[in-house]
Amino acid sequence: MSPLSRLTLYLAFVSSISFGGIPSVLPGIHDFVVVTNGWLTDRDFSNFFALAQTIPGPNMILMMGLIGWKVAGIAGAVAGASATTLPPCAMYFVGYRLWDRFRDATWQKITRVALAPLTFGLIIAGGSVMAHTADKSWPAVGVTIAAMTFLLVTRRNPLWMLGAAAALGAAGVV
Amino acid sequence: MPPAAEASPARPRASLAALFYEFLKVSLLGFGGGIVLAHRSAVERRRWLTDLEFADALTLCQFMPGPNIVGLAICIGTKTRGLAGALAAFAGFAVVPGVIGVCLALLYLGQTRIPLIQNALNGVSAAAAGLLIGTGLRFMRPHWRDPRVVIIAGLAFAGLAVVKLPLLVVLLTLAPLSVAATLIFRVPLQ
Repeated sequence: MSPLSRLTLYLAFVSSISFGGIPSVLPGIHDFVVVTNGWLTDRDFSNFFALAQTIPGPNMILMMGLIGWKVAGIAGAVAGASATTLPPCAMYFVGYRLWDRFRDATWQKITRVALAPLTFGLIIAGGSVMAHTADKSWPAVGVTIAAMTFLLVTRRNPLWMLGAAAALGAAGVV
Repeated sequence: MPPAAEASPARPRASLAALFYEFLKVSLLGFGGGIVLAHRSAVERRRWLTDLEFADALTLCQFMPGPNIVGLAICIGTKTRGLAGALAAFAGFAVVPGVIGVCLALLYLGQTRIPLIQNALNGVSAAAAGLLIGTGLRFMRPHWRDPRVVIIAGLAFAGLAVVKLPLLVVLLTLAPLSVAATLIFRVPLQ
């Protein structure tokens, strides 16, 4: 099998089991492309990761596109990004159709009421994990707290806050 | 309460172009805060979904594999306009930014990183984290006095952020517990 089809099949498989998002299967992808097949060096892999973080857009899809590009050029980029995205998207679509169809069933009302607080906790946890990596200085902690307060006390567009934080960062304050 | 009471007929219809545009914006301006901007667009500005429907779609996405925020785009597209809506939201969120992103990345590769952009991004990621925490707290606000909500949310938070358990472990442990609590305490189903 060609490297391109091996990569595509592998990404399609791991994206289908990536509970919690693509980062949860990132270590496996690293082993497959760097250790097992040697398509990328360790340095390529971490460069792609950092690069994907700094470019706006869906970063994990972008990263898989770059890995595919390294393996097989433009066709590889398309295949890598699609293999990562399409299987979960098909599942989301079918899953949501079923979920929405039984919206008024009692079992679903119970599940919905029961699971809502879990989602609240997960969102707050996601934010605090991000804060843990992002807040390398006290001013950065201040920006995080300011952003949290901004969202709780105003109804303004959060882009104002992101813009102000970008300006502070560019000025070297954060 | 009649089953369709929450889905009021006054809900504005989502055009495919609007779905595409809103998710393009969420994707390009998100910087890790995609949930915050998606909520702002779909619930507060466009009123395509209620707060509860949004949280509910997000819950479903957490339980499924894949990039959750892309899942949210698919769910909101599906909810408002079916398959065509899902495709429009997906194109806006993933396809167009993905193509732009790969081109940008290939241009960047091999060049040294620009410190000004790097610094700006440090500020943005600190703010994005705070916005996400704020979004979670805002969802909680109507339930502050409900011990069931506060305890389950607190346990989910502690499991992920403090003990650092894998997401699936947290979900599979707390989901049955929470369902049991809902049944035992006869929580009203809205």
